[in-house]
Amino acid sequence: MKQHTIRLHPLGKEILVNDQTPLIDSLHEYGIEFPCGGNGTCGKCRVRLLDGNIPLSESHRRKLEQFQLTPDWRLACMSRCTESVTLQADQFEHLILADESDFDFLPEIGYGVAVDLGTTTLVAQLVDLRSGKIFAVETLLNPQVRFGADLISRIQAGLNGHATEMTEMIRSAIGQMIERMIKECERIPDKVVLVGNTVMQRIFSGLDLTPLSCYPFQVENSGIVTYSTSMLNWCFEVSKSIQFYPSIGSFVGSDILAGIAATGLHRNEKYTALIDLGTNGEIVVGNRDRIICASTAAGPAFEGSCLSVGMRAVTGAISSLRLVENKMVSSVIGNVAPKGICGSALIDAVAILRKQEKIGLFGEILSGEEEIHLIGNIRLTQRDLYEFLLAKAAIAAGIILLASQLSIDPSEISETYIAGGFGNYLHTEHLLSTGMVETTPEKLHKMGNTALIGAKMFLFGNGELAAEILAKTNHINLEGCPEFQDVYISKMMLS
Amino acid sequence: MNELIEKLLEAVEFGKIDQKSPYPPQLRGMDGSHELTHQALEAGVNPQEILEEALIPAMGRVGKKFSENKIFVPQMLMSAKAMGASMVQLKPFFASGAIKSKGTFIIGTVKGDLHDIGKNLVSMMVEGGGWTIVDLGVDVGSERFVEALKNNPGAVVGLSALLTTTMVNMGEIVAGIRASVPDTKVLIGGAPVNADFCKSIGADFYAPDPQKAVEYLNKLAS
Repeated sequence: MKQHTIRLHPLGKEILVNDQTPLIDSLHEYGIEFPCGGNGTCGKCRVRLLDGNIPLSESHRRKLEQFQLTPDWRLACMSRCTESVTLQADQFEHLILADESDFDFLPEIGYGVAVDLGTTTLVAQLVDLRSGKIFAVETLLNPQVRFGADLISRIQAGLNGHATEMTEMIRSAIGQMIERMIKECERIPDKVVLVGNTVMQRIFSGLDLTPLSCYPFQVENSGIVTYSTSMLNWCFEVSKSIQFYPSIGSFVGSDILAGIAATGLHRNEKYTALIDLGTNGEIVVGNRDRIICASTAAGPAFEGSCLSVGMRAVTGAISSLRLVENKMVSSVIGNVAPKGICGSALIDAVAILRKQEKIGLFGEILSGEEEIHLIGNIRLTQRDLYEFLLAKAAIAAGIILLASQLSIDPSEISETYIAGGFGNYLHTEHLLSTGMVETTPEKLHKMGNTALIGAKMFLFGNGELAAEILAKTNHINLEGCPEFQDVYISKMMLS
Repeated sequence: MNELIEKLLEAVEFGKIDQKSPYPPQLRGMDGSHELTHQALEAGVNPQEILEEALIPAMGRVGKKFSENKIFVPQMLMSAKAMGASMVQLKPFFASGAIKSKGTFIIGTVKGDLHDIGKNLVSMMVEGGGWTIVDLGVDVGSERFVEALKNNPGAVVGLSALLTTTMVNMGEIVAGIRASVPDTKVLIGGAPVNADFCKSIGADFYAPDPQKAVEYLNKLAS
């Protein structure tokens, strides 16, 4: 197959892609967000062609007119690569937030690095603190994944004597990512802000994991922890500070604190929900007065680690499925042969199979067979469908229980934001039809990596924003709610 | 077989609790296990027969279907609820000795673990198998198991855990039980557990699903 090179300006990145690869597949790995999920409705993923060409369809041309863009612009979500190109991402010119308004920050002198230390993926960006402009991006698979995909397996590895190894591993990986960015853009960071869930934070910090291994899953709150480069064995200078932001409670960490900052829900009078469909599925509901959050073990189903054909949203994963004239049509990330399906396509599959009446109310395969064919050689087993139901029920029940803790009806939640790795590919109508989130399409927004957005916001100031959110945020243990079982099981049904 | 018994068996198998319950759709508007049990008792059907000819076989079918992935947690729970609606009417007959229980089963989720859905499903299936249940809840240490055993001599114990980090506590609990009430049979279950682990901690049986737990217990009782 023909291949082309995408050069990303000003990052100096070169990405090799197959012919006809959609730009969304290769750019989202570099931290470019697609807020409307590739529907061409928000215009935020605009890129400027500095060299080469991307053919324009008629609908794409109309979109450019609608957003008043000159002919050298393209919407990345509507573009496919047919020759080598050099692109400038408009998004890297300023911080982007979901509510269409830029983050209101006090410019500072110098540069900062924001790091989202995910259970599965590490993302870092180097930001000009005067302009909010992004100069460099690095992503990496968390090297700890060799100890297991989910948090419990990392804790287990820690208790089995691999704690120091995991700590050194993650410190070194992040140090190397920052070093590469420093080399690339020849700018030295003055500040580094790290966010991550409590397990990731404790492994990075070298703290004991035992308290998170069993009930009551509580750890002492250490506040913002500051490091020096020598403590971390990093061989570059950071003039001001390296800080890991504090966890909210139990497993829910500063990545969610950052996510709250990114949605701005802590300043909104109306209630807002944030659902992070990452490895550790977290749910937040709140407003400017009070915020409650919880974590669920919903992630592995969406990230594929417990599915027979599941995989993360990387090259070779079916990212979406649609019905065209009653036939299943798929998009595969990177335009290659499909190897498996990622969370967004799993949601599509369940929604479509239910609509076609191939599965019943409880996800049971109605043909009576053990497997159901999706597309190509990709099949879902009965077990896969049940895993999906467990995950979707955990999220749906979580929202209901958090609302009940706040003494509100779930219908009082005005906006719902979905964050997470495969969010870019999500079909909101399918998500809604599975009943995972019970709201209307206008009130459901995809927001990409809210942890990274929030971490960038934390680069400005001295922790005031995080303190403001922490002061009104509480964590609850969903399993500890007496009504959990009934709500959880009732939400396992499809509609 | 008595027509009421047959209907009750169907109501429990498919999770029809009472007449106004909308689930399952194919039995909409029909009598549920609540009404059918009442009618059976009114008609003078022997309570032991209600248990043995309707509830136990119904839950047996449910357990088998669950084992084979034909149904999932919600359907099993609906069946268990339907069984509960019948069982509550049979309680007085257990108390009077008109129905004989197969034995007592003490169950709990182990120390450090709060997950109780799996444990509850096993507990309901075992109750549906004709056993008396003593449910100790979640986060249960060996002292409480031992105490329950002393109050229920000869009972069988079931331990549940959902996390790899908490299943290790099963070992301590088995040891605690063996130290105080040596002849107790202990079965274990839960997502991270397997037969090798069962052997390594000296438990008697690993149940991969609720049905296997019921089958093991029934073998003990026979």
